[in-house]
Amino acid sequence: MPNILIVDDALFMRTTLKKVLTDGGCTVVGEAENGQLAVERYQELKPDVVMMDITMPVMDGITALKEIKRIAPEAKVIMCTALGQEKIVMNALQSGAQDYIVKPFKAEKVIEAVRKASSA
Amino acid sequence: MRAEFINPFVAAGIQVLDSVTGAAPQPGQLAVRSATFTTQQVSIVIGVTGSVVGQVVYGLSLVTATKIAAAMSSIPVMTFDDFASSSVAELGNMISGHATTLLADAGYDCQITPPTIIRGANIEICTATPALVVPLHTDFGKIEINVALKEAAAPIQVHTVSPSEADPAADPA
Repeated sequence: MPNILIVDDALFMRTTLKKVLTDGGCTVVGEAENGQLAVERYQELKPDVVMMDITMPVMDGITALKEIKRIAPEAKVIMCTALGQEKIVMNALQSGAQDYIVKPFKAEKVIEAVRKASSA
Repeated sequence: MRAEFINPFVAAGIQVLDSVTGAAPQPGQLAVRSATFTTQQVSIVIGVTGSVVGQVVYGLSLVTATKIAAAMSSIPVMTFDDFASSSVAELGNMISGHATTLLADAGYDCQITPPTIIRGANIEICTATPALVVPLHTDFGKIEINVALKEAAAPIQVHTVSPSEADPAADPA
């Protein structure tokens, strides 16, 4: 089952996503509270998939996505965010995100997205 | 301060609360609030930038905040601890995120800041403009949505001119 790095500044969201992913058979190997830590943890942990929020302090999720893809073009990043504007979705996908989930999410959608991303 | 800026937050609030708690709240009466107002026991403050600028403040009592955190969560929530605080902050984030999507659909592109939680009684908050406020009545108590937003000023255009353009009568020698 895929190893996941969860990136979100909200403790609530990291806890909720961890439960959804663990119940869905995934292994959560790490967590990060902002984009800068996400880039560092990605390099340490080399997860199969990253679940990335967008609105975060220090470094936002789009910037972190671009940095991770620069270091590891093969990285699989799923954006998981409250922002659903078409422009932001397109920017994320063009920057290399595998998928885009808008919060609040359904657990099944998250697991389906992770399965698709990890088998791509 | 325009009603068209609060409507997306009310619509998003109803949709998000229905989704995360299983019960759609009922909106109350729209009111105007001055730029300086006393908060409820828990306030979630979110900044907005872009075509529309200002702040959105979600206000609720400690009891309501704890009950909503419990309803949102997959783990038991008995007190308003860091986890509960993070839950309602994320609620503010989700409502605001959805609202900015609705604002974008109406032609106003904007971004939101990460939420700030303020706890305590009788705290005064000062927003950039007077706020429009709508209460949402949920099964867990009332949430007030205070929207203090205005359209961003058009950027000032600066033109440089030469001295002769500035004063054609001046002798350049």
